[in-house]
Amino acid sequence: MRAINRLWWAAAAALLWALPAIAHHSFAAEFDSGKTVTLHGVVSKVDWINPHIFVYLDVKDDSGKTTTWALQSLPPLFFRGSGLTKDVLLSNKQEVTVTANPAKDGSGAYGFMIKLSYPDGHVFSMSPQDADPNLRGKK
Amino acid sequence: MVSELANHRTLTLAAVLLAAPLGIQAQTNYAAEAAKNPGASSRPTPLLADGHPDLNGVWHHFFGIGTIQKVGESFTVGGAFSPKSAGLYSQPLRDSKPEYKPEAAAKVKLLNENQVKEDQTLHCINPGVPRLGPPHQIVQTAKQAIFLYADNTGNQWRVIPLDGRAHSTDPETAATYNGDSVGHWDGDTLVVDVTRLTDETWLGDNGLLHSRKLHVTERLRRAGDTIQYTVTAEDPEVLQKPWTLSRTLTLQTDALEEAAPCIDKDAGHYVTGEHHDNTR
Repeated sequence: MRAINRLWWAAAAALLWALPAIAHHSFAAEFDSGKTVTLHGVVSKVDWINPHIFVYLDVKDDSGKTTTWALQSLPPLFFRGSGLTKDVLLSNKQEVTVTANPAKDGSGAYGFMIKLSYPDGHVFSMSPQDADPNLRGKK
Repeated sequence: MVSELANHRTLTLAAVLLAAPLGIQAQTNYAAEAAKNPGASSRPTPLLADGHPDLNGVWHHFFGIGTIQKVGESFTVGGAFSPKSAGLYSQPLRDSKPEYKPEAAAKVKLLNENQVKEDQTLHCINPGVPRLGPPHQIVQTAKQAIFLYADNTGNQWRVIPLDGRAHSTDPETAATYNGDSVGHWDGDTLVVDVTRLTDETWLGDNGLLHSRKLHVTERLRRAGDTIQYTVTAEDPEVLQKPWTLSRTLTLQTDALEEAAPCIDKDAGHYVTGEHHDNTR
């Protein structure tokens, strides 16, 4: 099974590597796939725009100060027919957990969203195995 | 053991499908659209009352349709990133490359190397004809054809008179992104002749510049529920010979939806010049 696990992770890694490349320009020109930040906050705004949608997350630090992260995602056409809309993203006011690749230019609070997890366990994820039970079982 | 072997094959397939080609070809969903309408080309070709082929319909959606899937209560990537359908999105279009005269070729190279700065479409400016690609929807009457596009840079339209008129000769008519189009029927083929195109646009991705002398000819021939679309660019100032590319469009059943507004929020964040094609 170890070989299979390795193959799975190779496939997952290939996916993660390839996926941001479908963005409008090159993901690599802006975001650092070698770094991941984990954020806890509330979705406060969504820009349903080309070439990519943006999800804004209000993140409170320990002192109570709020920083709004701008999180780039995929082009709006990619969501067509999926049921995931601006309204869906905005309607959930619970605190969510987001993992993101931060901007390479060091500008704070700007990144590419890899995964958005809700408290009940459902996700919006760039990794199919996060949502597909059949794939999840193969980890 | 059998299931492990099956897993092995599935995962290897996934790794192969999801690796190199997708970064380049993920947006070319022509094959995926054709797969939604099997046998389209062998159907009868409908005609309008004037006897010409009926080109009305939605024929193409610009990239990525159906990429996000709902799985249970969750949403994840599918389409181009599902092992089941990735092959449809990674089929190479085998486009020929325009052959430039040496001086222009040097400029193309420079533009390509600086594409994240120089490519106006990355900053929400119209791609223009011919880079705009084949029409997403056609509205056709005996006197005119309207080409509609929901491009990711914005919604576009072209009004193409079919009444036999010539190109505008008004010297005050400015060159524009989509140019001055006139159409006529050559047998069962709609031929669209385009002039007065601004040289601010490119023929395609990767710095493919052109001059104000660009002359574009599009040919659309309906075969069943498909359209064979070919576009030829002639530009003797920069090209060594005319350049042609072809697309097979398949009649779609879903409506064309307006493009979301294009707002460039990336420009200030580019650290490197890495880029990929946005094939239309």
